[in-house]
Amino acid sequence: MPEEELLKIEELSKHFGGVYAVRGVSLDVRKGGIWGLVGPNGSGKSTLFNTILGLYRPDGGCIYFNGRKINNLSSHQIYGLGIVNSFQVPRLFFQMSVMDNMLVAARGHQGDGLFNSLFLRGGWQNQERDLIDRALGLIELVELDKLVFAPAGELSGGQRKLLELARGLMAKPRLLLLDEPAAGINPVVGKKIFQKLQSLSKNGTTFFVVEHRLEILFNFASWVYVMDRGKMVTQGQPEKIIDDPAFYQAYLGAE
Amino acid sequence: MDLLLYGLDLLVFIGIFGILAISLNLEFGFSGLANFGKVAFFLVGAYTYALLSQIGLPFYLCLIAGALVAAIFGLLISLPALRLRADYLAIVVLAFGEILRLIVKSEDWLAGGDWGLSVSPAISITGVSPRVDLLVNIALVFSCLLICFVVAQLLSNSPYGRVIRAIREDEVAAEALGKNRAKYKAQIFMLGSAMAGLAGGLYAQYLQAIVPMLFLPIITFTIWIMVLVGGPANNWGVLVGAALVEIFERGANIAKDYIALPIDPSNLQYILFGVLILLVLFYRPQGLFKESPIKTRALEVVRHAREQVKGEGG
Ligand SMILES: Nc1ncnc2c1ncn2[C@@H]1O[C@H](COP(=O)(O)OP(=O)(O)OP(=O)(O)O)[C@@H](O)[C@H]1O
Ligand SMILES: [Mg+2]
Repeated sequence: MPEEELLKIEELSKHFGGVYAVRGVSLDVRKGGIWGLVGPNGSGKSTLFNTILGLYRPDGGCIYFNGRKINNLSSHQIYGLGIVNSFQVPRLFFQMSVMDNMLVAARGHQGDGLFNSLFLRGGWQNQERDLIDRALGLIELVELDKLVFAPAGELSGGQRKLLELARGLMAKPRLLLLDEPAAGINPVVGKKIFQKLQSLSKNGTTFFVVEHRLEILFNFASWVYVMDRGKMVTQGQPEKIIDDPAFYQAYLGAE
Repeated sequence: MDLLLYGLDLLVFIGIFGILAISLNLEFGFSGLANFGKVAFFLVGAYTYALLSQIGLPFYLCLIAGALVAAIFGLLISLPALRLRADYLAIVVLAFGEILRLIVKSEDWLAGGDWGLSVSPAISITGVSPRVDLLVNIALVFSCLLICFVVAQLLSNSPYGRVIRAIREDEVAAEALGKNRAKYKAQIFMLGSAMAGLAGGLYAQYLQAIVPMLFLPIITFTIWIMVLVGGPANNWGVLVGAALVEIFERGANIAKDYIALPIDPSNLQYILFGVLILLVLFYRPQGLFKESPIKTRALEVVRHAREQVKGEGG
């Protein structure tokens, strides 16, 4: 059975003035599993994610999701199609509680509309209860259950990363882009999270993960892309990649 | 008796400015939209009310029309302005307010120019005492304030309120979580403008005559102080702010007749405003009241349960 293609990128380029952050990158992510993206600092991984997300307009190339071209969609529409991101530097709503941060991400909350919020209060109150239950489960997963009503601004750096991740999961994505989910996280929790991602990936969510902690990522990823200076230099199964000279070249650098 | 009339008059002003403060709080306090052109929508409401009352429409229709026309203006200005960065938005709406004032000032055929427009009373009973007339106005103003307050409270304690706060905190992240920020901002701008228009109508109705001089940028400034002093994103707070600032303004006005000052006494009020702002910024930068957290029934249940568990554990 051929795996279904979810995300397809063709010859994507993005530059900032004279900095060519992404140069002609092509890749495929098929449905299911954990997909890795690695490369040294500044190789263009976050730029690639942000471009997929519609935060940057590509300067060249195409992005397809489920066969549909999404280059020109705004990021709320891209969320609507099922792509959600968890930022490298958490972008939380810092004055709002952990719980409210989670609930903002919920998909299809009826009370999100102006009219419903005023006149159909009965309708969304029940929905809100279910969403809170789901949010509590995810908050527990990332071990923030003592801080449910604390403002996100009071969280530590690692806790912010964890909330950012949980918020992404709350959005029930079809494709979740995770930009260094394990950075600054204690290794035990980090491993637990990857195990959770693995189990979720069997139920229809696909993960595309940037991670510098290669020892964790290579344990879980089914396929890894390697970027260097804006270009895709190699790709393959993790056990093959660690023997790939191009991979070492990227990391150890040609001076 | 004079004192009573004075107090009732003050109450009307607190009510009208309370509506304006609630509306700016929706825009700025909850959504982060720095509307420096509040007076424009206040003016639109007042002139709409006056013009329609002159052709004989009943007062409630004039009020509704004032709110609607202001909302339309709010939408029109928000469309280009919301695409701009926040600081450009501020400049655009600030200029818009002044332009509108200059238009009504110079277009005699439309709005009476400098002489302004006169307005007939909402409920005209011949021979009533000024006190009864004031009470009618107070009832009218406070009914409208109640409606605006309830709408603002319901909105801020709903998922919608959560979304607009999220947009205020980080609009890029909110958009990446599926919230169409342009739509939300336009809605809030319309709603805020409608409330300001309603307040304008009430103002015209109360004064029974409006002139361009009433709509100087200082009005916008005053509403901002009310919100900043009371506490942005707290509807009760900004009401308290509105009352305090109105009382303060009156106090300064009375005081200047009794105190000999080495400066032009009519500036005293502005100087005191400046001092008030500095005091708030230094000692209570978040305003007198803190942001009120989002409360929905489901959230309260969980919060309560958690507090109880914590209480037993500790
Ligand atoms: N908004 C921006 N404006 C200008 N230059 C940028 C911007 N974002 C990224 N860059 C540049 O693009 C290049 C790639 O950056 P990017 O953040 O994509 O790297 P990365 O692979 O995510 O690195 P890291 O592993 O350190 O997170 C860098 O040289 C960076 O300086
Ligand atoms: Mg990065």
